[in-house]
Amino acid sequence: MTNGHKPLSDLLDEMALKILMIEPGDLSIVGELLDLIEQLLPGRAAADTPVVIQRMAVAFKGALEKFIMGELADSAENYEYLGQCITEMQESARKEGHPGENILAQFCDNMKKIGLAVDPSSLVGGTAAAFAGKGEEKDGLKAEEECLVAASSLASASAQPSGGGGAGQEAIPDFLQDTDLLAGFIEEAFEHLESIEVNVLELEQSPDDMEIINNIFRPFHTIKGVSGFLNLKTINRLAHATENLLDDVRNGKRPMDSAVIDIVLTVGDALKSMVEDIKDVLQNGPANYKDTDISGFLVNITRLQEGGAEAPPVEQISAPEPVSRPEVFDPEEEAEPPAVEEEAPVAPSRPATARGGVQPASVPRVEPPASSAARVSADSGSKKIGASIKVDVEKLDALVNAVGELVIMQSLVRQNKLVSRIADPKLTKDFSQLTRITSELQRTAMSMRMVPIKQTFDKMIRLVRDLSKKSGKKVDLIMEGADTEIDRNMVDSIYDPLVHMMRNSVDHGISPPADRAQFGKPETGTVHLRAYQKGGSMMIEIEDDGQGLNTTKIRQKAIERGLISESEALSDYELNNLIFLPGFSTAEKITDVSGRGVGMDVVKKAVEKLRGKVEVQSQSGKGSLFVIRLPLTLAIIDGIIVRVGSERYIIPTIAIQESMHPEEKNYSTVHGRGENLLVRGDLVPIIRLYEIFGVAPTYTDPCDAIVVVVENEGRRRALMVDELLGKEEVVIKNLGGLDVPGVAGGTILGDGRVGLILDLAGVMASKAD
Amino acid sequence: MEAASVAQNLGPGAELAGKYLTFSLGNEDYGVGILSVREIIGVMEITAVPHTPAYIKGVINLRGKVIPVLDLRLKFNMNHKEYDERTCIIVVEVQGQSAPVQVGMVVDSVSEVLNIAAAEIEPPPSLGSSSETENILGMAKVKGEVKILLDVDRVVGEGLLQQFAAQ
Repeated sequence: MTNGHKPLSDLLDEMALKILMIEPGDLSIVGELLDLIEQLLPGRAAADTPVVIQRMAVAFKGALEKFIMGELADSAENYEYLGQCITEMQESARKEGHPGENILAQFCDNMKKIGLAVDPSSLVGGTAAAFAGKGEEKDGLKAEEECLVAASSLASASAQPSGGGGAGQEAIPDFLQDTDLLAGFIEEAFEHLESIEVNVLELEQSPDDMEIINNIFRPFHTIKGVSGFLNLKTINRLAHATENLLDDVRNGKRPMDSAVIDIVLTVGDALKSMVEDIKDVLQNGPANYKDTDISGFLVNITRLQEGGAEAPPVEQISAPEPVSRPEVFDPEEEAEPPAVEEEAPVAPSRPATARGGVQPASVPRVEPPASSAARVSADSGSKKIGASIKVDVEKLDALVNAVGELVIMQSLVRQNKLVSRIADPKLTKDFSQLTRITSELQRTAMSMRMVPIKQTFDKMIRLVRDLSKKSGKKVDLIMEGADTEIDRNMVDSIYDPLVHMMRNSVDHGISPPADRAQFGKPETGTVHLRAYQKGGSMMIEIEDDGQGLNTTKIRQKAIERGLISESEALSDYELNNLIFLPGFSTAEKITDVSGRGVGMDVVKKAVEKLRGKVEVQSQSGKGSLFVIRLPLTLAIIDGIIVRVGSERYIIPTIAIQESMHPEEKNYSTVHGRGENLLVRGDLVPIIRLYEIFGVAPTYTDPCDAIVVVVENEGRRRALMVDELLGKEEVVIKNLGGLDVPGVAGGTILGDGRVGLILDLAGVMASKAD
Repeated sequence: MEAASVAQNLGPGAELAGKYLTFSLGNEDYGVGILSVREIIGVMEITAVPHTPAYIKGVINLRGKVIPVLDLRLKFNMNHKEYDERTCIIVVEVQGQSAPVQVGMVVDSVSEVLNIAAAEIEPPPSLGSSSETENILGMAKVKGEVKILLDVDRVVGEGLLQQFAAQ
């Protein structure tokens, strides 16, 4: 029993995903990691967490704290070691808290490489406080406080040198009087800031579009107004200054040039981190509150406003500039200490001509105006914003439930023997009308839970922009189908894997311009990000024209790791998809040779949690294509209904490979017990569902029954059932508090009865017992 | 404060006084607090759920919601009785781990709603082992009949529902 604790493996998986997301200088994710690791500390962890892991967690936390305090180098290399430490913790968790000395030694070795001495013996015996880091001596809460203070002081410290003036310092927050209002503001502010960012990036395409400028102006105005009302003076002042600047642009006093865009973007980031801080204060109390120094921004904005007259004309910026120039002067890199939020562009002080060169718009040319499917939809999307309302998700779920029930009831009434005997044409007509209305209602209700994936995609624009700037590569991001709709609940879960894959594509897939030229490719690499619906699935594709995967190296690595044998003949496709196996993760970087493969198993796990699949196709030297297939909604599952005795179960279609009547000659047993079926040359263990679920079957001989071959997490099993009843899209419901191994949930079948949906991982596990 | 002192004056049953839905199991009469009862439905087809104790009959479709159903006879180790037209499922709501959950209880027949006064309630008898009486809030004597007042949260509480999940 977990008693509200997340299962250990989930926590560790989450940590593994986070560590992949970390970039040097990005302390926010380190903070998230810290939150996660704290759930594993002695005293806070679930009772069944092995002691070894709790102690590893203490060491791990010590390391994280040193990163935050700046005592340890915040470098990609060190995060790599941290990632390996997580792998070792995962390994220990798999071994149920009895890792070999080997793993412990590796763990300590990795910690040592980071700069934290941990004694392996302290992890198994003795007291936990036996290592050199000092983090473990503080109690969790105090340490956390210190970290937060450190983080915010770091942030404000970094703002100081760039700004100079000391205006706008407040010590005590006096905005905590109305926490409800404040919470509302925080939520709204995040939305506004996001819309600002999206609009600014759009503006880079068409700088003279008044509508977009207005769209940027309005959220600043709102933030200014509400923050003033709530006494959030710093935010208010910054938003106000920016609003003034934008107002000048609106009134034609100055053009919307790259300097303005830059400052709006950085102000947006700064506001975001300030709101983030307030959210923190709201949750953890005002003790850690530290006001952000915004004087740097204010000075820059004023300078911009004063020098506005000599700014270059609008046309200069709007001219398409397909060749990006990350190597030209980059305000971010020069003036930027670790905290990204606090950067202060020095651009305004430069002569007007230089400003064109700074132009960030040119770095990732988001889309060439010619092929702008996403662009059109983006425009229509931004205009729709005013016409929506917020509805509680629970109410929506209730509506969807009720509609589902309505549809079932309707079919029950229709199938009623007495009713169906009535041969009245009017009744028939009315019935078909009713059916039309209910199915329309059902469609609408379902669509209410769906949101365009645009929001997630838009974040990728910024990601690619920053990545290409940092790595000095030239990358075009071309997005298609951003208006494809996805289940609201999936949006958050798909973001992290998507970021990781995008990062992989830009970091490792696309080579630097010089290398690309050698291969006869255009200097600018292209990454396509596509979303579309296919059948009952939502597809997301990430395609790059980079160097592709190196199958020879993958093969070599797979043999080294014992994943495949020397003699095994695998197609390129199969080889490429080996990168999703856990063995290919952080342990040793394949990055050096082929450029891919770090942490792809984490991506796969995240996608599978959403009941999706991920695949890669690649041609060495030509590029790679990652395809993610997701169900359209988490609420509905496409399943095959099978009968076992008197019971009906639903097997998720996505896991099913084939079904058949087994033939005698393909059936074999091991020691008279372990049953196997030869399926296309592979031995697949048979699971008799009736045995696991304790029902009386129609058939006990596998050759009379039907087997359904399913695949889950790389393992194949043949499930023995009595009959296949049909295929149906069913709405998943929980069992109202029952949590049963082997059962993922229930659903209401066409006849109004409940059918159980199989959880294949659970079914396979219960057989293993 | 005042209410508490009044309750003390009225004896141990004071906080238990109120309306109860009464039902029968074999020869015994039981009562459950009316506030936790959501509805009463006739017996419908129950889908069995594997890996659960015998008294968990399975799950039913309650207007689009899937809820577990347990058989009170089996829960109290009484003999099983075939379901007939008088058999009912009383749907009660109890506090689950995070949110309230609804659970159905199969009973022989539902009787009536009774207003039970504090004076009519006595503490549960001691029957030796405490596990037998821990589900019982008290005994009510109404019109010469004894009603066993059940603590619904204990009988169908989340902790109980989850015990087998760990297996």
